Amino acid sequence: MTADDSGQPNRGKDGRTIFNVDRDKLLEFMKGMKEKGYDHLSLITGVDRKDFIEVVYHLHAVERNEYVVVKTTTNNGVVPSVTSLWSSAKWEEREQYDLMGIKFEGHENLKRIFLPESWVGHPLRKDYDLGNVQYINMDSDGEDYATFDEGDGW
Amino acid sequence: MSLYSTLLGFFSFLGYPLSNAAAYLFESIFLLLAASLSLVFMIYLFRKYMARVQLRIGPNRVGKFGLLQLIADVFKLVQKESLFPKNRDDLPYRIAPVMVIIGLMLAFAVIPYGSFFYFGSLTVSDTGVSVILLFAILSIMPIGEVLAGISSRNKYALLGALRAVAKDISFEIPMMISVLAIIMMASARTSAPLSIDSIVVTEVLPYGILQPIGISVFLVAMIARASYSPFDMGESDSELITGFSTEYSGMRFGMFYAGLFGSILLGSFVVSLFYLGGFNGPFSGDLGAVWLGIKALILVIISFTVWLSMPRIRIDKFVNFGWKYLLPLAMINLVISGALTLMTGW
Amino acid sequence: MQDFIEINFGPQHPSTHGVLRLKAKLDGEIVKEIEPVIGYLHRNAEKLCEMTFYADNLVYFDRMDYVASMLMESGYLEAAEKILNIVPPERVLWIRVIMNELSRIASHLVWAGAFGLDLGMLTPFFYCFAERDKVLEVFTEICGSRQETNYMSIGGVYQDITPGIVDHIEAFLESFPKRLEEIYKIFVGNDVFISRNKGIGVMSREVAIDYGVTGPMLRASGVNYDVRKAEPYLVYDKLNFEVPVSYKGDNLARFLVRFEEMRQSVHILKQAIRKIPDGPFFNPKAKKSMMIRLRGDGEYYARTESSKGEFGVYIVADGGVKPYRVHVRSPTFKNLSVVQELAKDQMIADMVAILGSVDLVFGEVDR
Repeated sequence: MTADDSGQPNRGKDGRTIFNVDRDKLLEFMKGMKEKGYDHLSLITGVDRKDFIEVVYHLHAVERNEYVVVKTTTNNGVVPSVTSLWSSAKWEEREQYDLMGIKFEGHENLKRIFLPESWVGHPLRKDYDLGNVQYINMDSDGEDYATFDEGDGW
Repeated sequence: MSLYSTLLGFFSFLGYPLSNAAAYLFESIFLLLAASLSLVFMIYLFRKYMARVQLRIGPNRVGKFGLLQLIADVFKLVQKESLFPKNRDDLPYRIAPVMVIIGLMLAFAVIPYGSFFYFGSLTVSDTGVSVILLFAILSIMPIGEVLAGISSRNKYALLGALRAVAKDISFEIPMMISVLAIIMMASARTSAPLSIDSIVVTEVLPYGILQPIGISVFLVAMIARASYSPFDMGESDSELITGFSTEYSGMRFGMFYAGLFGSILLGSFVVSLFYLGGFNGPFSGDLGAVWLGIKALILVIISFTVWLSMPRIRIDKFVNFGWKYLLPLAMINLVISGALTLMTGW
Repeated sequence: MQDFIEINFGPQHPSTHGVLRLKAKLDGEIVKEIEPVIGYLHRNAEKLCEMTFYADNLVYFDRMDYVASMLMESGYLEAAEKILNIVPPERVLWIRVIMNELSRIASHLVWAGAFGLDLGMLTPFFYCFAERDKVLEVFTEICGSRQETNYMSIGGVYQDITPGIVDHIEAFLESFPKRLEEIYKIFVGNDVFISRNKGIGVMSREVAIDYGVTGPMLRASGVNYDVRKAEPYLVYDKLNFEVPVSYKGDNLARFLVRFEEMRQSVHILKQAIRKIPDGPFFNPKAKKSMMIRLRGDGEYYARTESSKGEFGVYIVADGGVKPYRVHVRSPTFKNLSVVQELAKDQMIADMVAILGSVDLVFGEVDR
C-alpha cells in the first residue's frame, strides 16, 4: 500500500474514510481538517512496514460525530508535528517516538515517555532485536545507562 | 483523701522523707501504667470500632477477640529498626517523639479524675492553677511535631509541619477564649477558678448546657488539637504521606501514633470535665472516676465516628474557619456567658 | 527571582493510584507546575501482541485496565473478530453487554472508593468494595476468576450464562440501587466533601477536546459524547439508556456523572437480562482447536466505551496467524495528560483531588 499524493479518500475495512496524504503536505492538510471542525485528535500511531513507516492519525469532529483517518508515510522516520493544532498530540507523539522511533519535527519536548531515556532502540520496530536483553542502571550521579546481556531473550 | 495520701499511709513504715518519695514514685508509675494501658485499649477500641463501621471484623487473631493484638503491635514496633534520614538534624530529630509523649503524659497528671471508693481522689497533682498548667502542657506536643517536621529534612515533613503550625495557631485562640468563659462563670462561685477541680465541683449546671456555643467551639478545637480527620492536614496521608512523621519508623513512629490517640483521650477528658460535668453524677463521692470515664468514653466514640465519616478539610479553608468563624463564636460565647453570670449569678 | 520547592510525588505515594510519578514545583502550598512521569508499569503489550496468536492476546488486554477487564476484552474482540471475519452469535453480544456493564459498575465503584480515600474519607472505600465484591462474585461464578477474567474469547464466550447466574445477577440488581444511593448520600451529604470538590479542577469544554479527553471526564465538561451512542457496537443500539452530561466541568461534576452512569448501567442490565435471546454461545468457526489457525487480513480500528473513556484497538493484519501491529488507544493515557493543565496554580490537596477524579489505572496508562 503506497500513499496517494492526491489526498483522495478511500474506505478501510472498518468503513472509515481514509485520506492518504503526502508527508510534505501533512501539516497544511491537518490545518484544513482542524478548520473543518475536526477538533479531537483521537489517536496517532505508526505501523512499521519494513521499508517505510506509515503514520496514522484518527480525527474526530465531536459536534458532527464524524470520524476520518489520515495516513502518511515516511522513509526516514521524520514527519511534521501536529502539536500546534491539537494538544493531545504532545503525549501521543512522544509515545510514538519512544516505541516506534518516529521523529516529529517541531515537537518542543520530544523525549521518551514510557522507557528510560537511555534505552537503546525502539521496541515496536520490526528490526528491534529481542534477543538483546537490556538492563538500565543508574550511576552515582543519577544518570541512567544501558547494559546488555546476550541472553536467550525472547 | 487522695491517691497520694493513701500511698503515703501505705509506705509510712519507711519514715517521712522516704515514704514521701516512694508515694510520688508509685503514683507516677500508676499514672504511666494507667495512661499507657488506656491508650492501648483505645487503639484496640478504635480498630474494632472502625472495622465494625467498615463492614470488617478487625483484629481477631492474637488472643481472644484480638485483645492482645495491640500488645503484639507494641512489641513489633519496639523490635523494628529505626531508620534515620541521612541529613537529619540529629538532636531535635531524636527528641521530637519523646516531647510528644512527655507532653501527653504530663497532661494526664494534671487532670482531676474524681474519687473512686477506697482510693479516694485519683488526681495525681492538684495545683491551684491546673487550667493554666494543662493548656501550657498541651502546647508542648505541637512543638514536638514541628521539631520532627523540620529536623527530618524532608520536604513532605516540612510541609506537614508548616500545616500543623498554621492549624495550631488558628484554633488555639478560640479554644482559650472559650475556656475563659468557663473561668469567668466559675469565678462567681469559687475562690479558685483556675483549678479544674474546683470548677467542676462548684458548678450548678454542666457548662455545656449553659454555653452551647462554647462546647461546640471547644470540641472542634479539641478535634483539631488531636489532628484526626477532618482536621488531619498535618499528616494527611494521601497528600503528604504522613506529614511530619514521614521519616520516623519503629517505636519513634509509635510515639507519634500514641500521641494521636492520647490527644483524643485527653481531649475527651478535658471536654467532659469542662462542659459535661466531669466526675459529677449520682454517688460521685464513690463513683466520680467512673462517671468521668463514661463521659470520656462516649466522647471518644463520638470522635471516632467523626474521624471515620469526614473527608479532610483543605488547610486554607480551616485557617479561614478558625479566624472567621471559631474566633467570633468564642467571643460571642464570652459575652453571653458574662451576661448570664451577671444576671443569674450562676 | 522566585524559588520553588521541587517535590517528587511518587512513584511510591499513597495517592498516585499505583506508579505515577509527579515532578511538582511548589510555592508553599500552591502547585506551580507538575510534570507527570509514567512508564513504571510499562510492559509493551503492543509488542507482545505481535508475537502471540489472536486468541491468546486477550490476556494482555485483561491486564490493561485490571479493574474492568471485561471492558478491555470486549474492546479487543470488537477489532479482532472483524479482522478474523468471525461473527459471534446474537446471544454472545447480549452476554458481552451484560458483562461490560457489570464491569463498568465495578470499575466506577473502585474509583468512588479511591476518590474518597484521596480526600481522606476512609469508610466509603469499604462500602464501595463490598458492593464491587458482589460483581466479582458473579464473575467468579461465570469464569472462575475475579479480576483478570479472560471470559470472552474470539467468536463467543468461554461459558454460557446459566439460569443460576442470571438469578445471581438479578439479585445483585435488586439490592445494588439501594446501596448505591446510600453510598451516594455518604459522599454528597457531606458538606466538607462538597466544599472540597465544587469548583475544583474546572476543565473547560475546549481544553477537554483539545487534549483528547474522553469518557466521564469529557461528559462532565459538557460534551455529550459516548461511543455507545455515537458509534453503537454490540447491541447498545437496541438498549434504552441515557448519557449523563454535566456542564460544570469540576470534580463534583465528574463524581456525579460517574454515579449517574452506574445508575444507567443498572438500567441497561435490567433490560439486557430480560431481552437476552437463546442460542449458541460461540461461533463454531472459532472452536478451541481452531483458534490458533485463524488468519486475519486488512486493518481495523474498533472504538468502545470503557469505564474510563474511549478505548480503541487498532489491528493491522498481514494474513498470518499473529497480528502484524496492534495499537491501543488508552483513554486514561490522554485523560492523565490534561492533569498538568488542571493542577496548575491549585493547592496540593486539590491536586490530589484532581488526580483522583481522573480515574487512573496504570495497567492501562502504561500498557
